[in-house]
Formats: sequence, C-alpha cells, structure tokens
Amino acid sequence: MQHSNAYTFKFAAMVTIACSVLLAGAATMLKPRQEENVALDIKRNILASVDIKAGAGESLTRDDINRLYKENIQEYVINSEGDILQDKDPNNIDFDKNPDLKPLYEFVKDGQIISYIIPISGKGLWSTIYGYLALEDDVTTIKGITFYQHGETPGLGGEIDKEWFKSNFEGKRIRNEEGELISITVIKGKVENKIPPEERYHHVDGISGATLTARGVDQFLEKDLNTYEPFFRKVMQDEGDHNG
Amino acid sequence: MANQTDTQAVAQKPPREKLFSKKNIRVLTEPLSDNNPITFQVLGICSALAVTVQMNTALVMSLAVTFVMTMSNVTISVLRRHIPSKIRIITELAVIASLVIIVDEVLKAYLYDISKQLSVFVGLIITNCIIMGRAEAFALQNKVWPSFLDGLGNALGYSWILLVIAFGREVLGSGTLLGFQVIPEFLYQAGYENMGLMVLSPGAFILLGLLVWIQRTANKTVGE
Repeated sequence: MQHSNAYTFKFAAMVTIACSVLLAGAATMLKPRQEENVALDIKRNILASVDIKAGAGESLTRDDINRLYKENIQEYVINSEGDILQDKDPNNIDFDKNPDLKPLYEFVKDGQIISYIIPISGKGLWSTIYGYLALEDDVTTIKGITFYQHGETPGLGGEIDKEWFKSNFEGKRIRNEEGELISITVIKGKVENKIPPEERYHHVDGISGATLTARGVDQFLEKDLNTYEPFFRKVMQDEGDHNG
Repeated sequence: MANQTDTQAVAQKPPREKLFSKKNIRVLTEPLSDNNPITFQVLGICSALAVTVQMNTALVMSLAVTFVMTMSNVTISVLRRHIPSKIRIITELAVIASLVIIVDEVLKAYLYDISKQLSVFVGLIITNCIIMGRAEAFALQNKVWPSFLDGLGNALGYSWILLVIAFGREVLGSGTLLGFQVIPEFLYQAGYENMGLMVLSPGAFILLGLLVWIQRTANKTVGE
C-alpha cells in the first residue's frame, strides 16, 4: 500500500512519541530501585574488601548487607591535605565535581579501627575497572582488594575479579622499610619464581594473557594510593605520637 | 438495507481459522528444529557465544529475547497495515529498541547481578538479526496470532540452543550448574580438571558446530 508523504511524517511522529513516553515512564518508575541496587552493590564490595562476605554458595540479602555495613563501616570525606571533614557525608557529594574531596571508609570493630578502605579505579585494556582496596591500620599492609566493575576479556583480563587473583594481594605491602610509598606491581608469571625474596612484598602474581590489564591495575593503584598518601601520612604520624 | 450489507459481509468472510490449526502449529514448531534460527539459519550467533558461559545468564537472555521477539512480532503485526513501507525498517527498529530498553531497565532494577554479567548483550538484542528478520519477513505480512506464534517459536528455537550450549559450557568449564557444584570433589582429587577452553568463546563455537552437525545428520529434510 502506498502512503502519502504527509502520512509517513505523521506516522513517524506518532511512533516516536509513543516510544519516548513508554521509555520515559519505565525509566522513571524503575529508577529508585536501580539506584538502590547500585548503592547496595557498592556496600557489598566495601564489605568484601575487608573479607565480610557470603560463604560459597550463599548470598547476602539486602537487609544483611545494610545491617553488616551499618555495624562495621564508617564513612568519611577527606580533602587533598588528608584531613577528615567531619561535617560531610560521602553519599551526598558528587566526587566528580569536587576533585579535591575523596571518600574514605573505615572498618571499625569495638571502637578500634581495623582497616582503611579506599576506592580504586582506572583504565584496564578495554574498560574502566572499579574496585576497593583495604589497608590494615598500619596503612602499609593490604588487607584485601575487590574489583567489581570491568569489561575486560573473560578468561584473560577478566580474571582480575577472581578469588585467586584478589587473594594474591593480601598481606602485601605498599611501603618499603623506610615507610615510603612504592605501591604494588603485577608481574608476569609467579612472584616466587621471578622476584628476589626481599622484594616479594611489593609484587603479585600476574595473569597470563593479560599484560595490559595488569599494567592498568599497576598504574591506577599507584595513582590512587598517591591521592590518599597525605591522609595515610597523618595516620602514621598519629601512630608515632601515640607510641612516643 | 443496513442489515443486508451486514449479512453480505459475513458471507464474504472466509471461514475463521482455528487457533491451533495445522498451519499455525507449523509456524510455532518449525523454528524449533527444521528451521532453527541458530543452527539452520545461523543467525544470532554473537549472543549465543557471549552469554552461554553460565546457565543463569543464558536463561535470562533467553527470557529477554522471548519477550522482545513475541512482543515485537505482535506489535508490528498490529501496525502492519499502517506502517508506511518507506519507513518500515526504522519503525521495526524503534519498536524493537523500545522493548529491549524496557527489558534492560527491568533487569537493572530486579536482577542487578545478572544484568551486570550480561552487560552490553542485553542492549545488543536490538541488533539480533533473528528479531528484525522475523518482523520483516513474517509479522509485516501476517495476522497477529500467527505472528505471535512465529515470534514465540523462533524465540524458543533460539533459547533451547542457547541453554544446551550453556549447559555444556558450565558443566565442562566450571563444573557447576546454575551455580551449584555438580562435578563431585573426589573427581578433582583424582586429577580431573575443568576445561578452560569451554569458558572462552571457542568452546561455544565447538559446541555449536557439534549441534549443527548432529541436527543436520538427524534431520534428513534439512540440507542443501
């Protein structure tokens, strides 16, 4: 059937309007729940970085995650000098618009700070990788690491979110004996075969076939650790004061 | 006078086709095997490779495609007399894209983990050649009910292949099924290892190739 041009235009306009109304409606209706999911996912990953997570085959419910998070994690905002800004809440700040401010999470148990948790992110090979890094209270030893969002090749770079790779970081140190920051390097192959014993604390086993993803991880770890270094320095100073 | 035209119209109407007439049944069942969109027409391969590492992603993907394909076929068929032929492709695309975006949004809201794993592949249902192909080849020329059956049939044809491949890949590649361990621990201790190849795309290619081979051997009607 041949339709006139006017009809064609009218039809196109109607289809466009119908589709946009439908999609706008769906997006608006589902938005609160989607945002809740994203927030929940962040909480779950912060908890996982300090090894609070579901056992194999189990999963944490929404309520579990919210409760555990509330019990164990405290949220702060720090500025570029490394001072904690008590009046700020990281959930209400757009960190993209305020590059001087950074979120900081503390794992606190019985009034004792067990661990400092910082967000890490940067380019891998194909995608931006997001994760969290938890340091012990000496701000030197790594307690845990998670990578939760990435688009690296499954089986190659995608292995970064696997347990064996993440547990690789535990107990490694981001500082040398003098307390200078030297970050962590992902090497090719196994640390025990390639690296002399005195340097093993600063290297982790690599993923074969994922050299570029690993290079990305090296770079953003160093960058993010440097961003938080003013804060870590203050923590170390306080420690020193207390001990002295 | 008015009565007369009414009776005439009724008389001219062909006898109503039964809902499950032989023809309609064939529309539904043909894409399951003889005319399967993946193994026979070899369409939709990209997603068949991408989302079949685990059963649960394959299952959700199958449901998403089933929803989109039946709904798009029905919608296009309802509109078939009104769609100007000059812009029919873009209209089909608008309908399909809207449905896919709705599916994507719903997954993000209710199945967040799986939607993260499926990532771009939900969005890529838009470019799944099977859906566009059925809208253009079938729904534009046929009534609503047969179009519904055609969409459903093709979606099921797509889904069962996806699930069979995912079954093979998850069991062989990870030793699990829907996330539960199915390969017993003592086999691992006896030296059994998961087949790493199955986790990667070539594993899907191999399984798919075997399926096509089996199907073409078993089905004498299929073949060049």
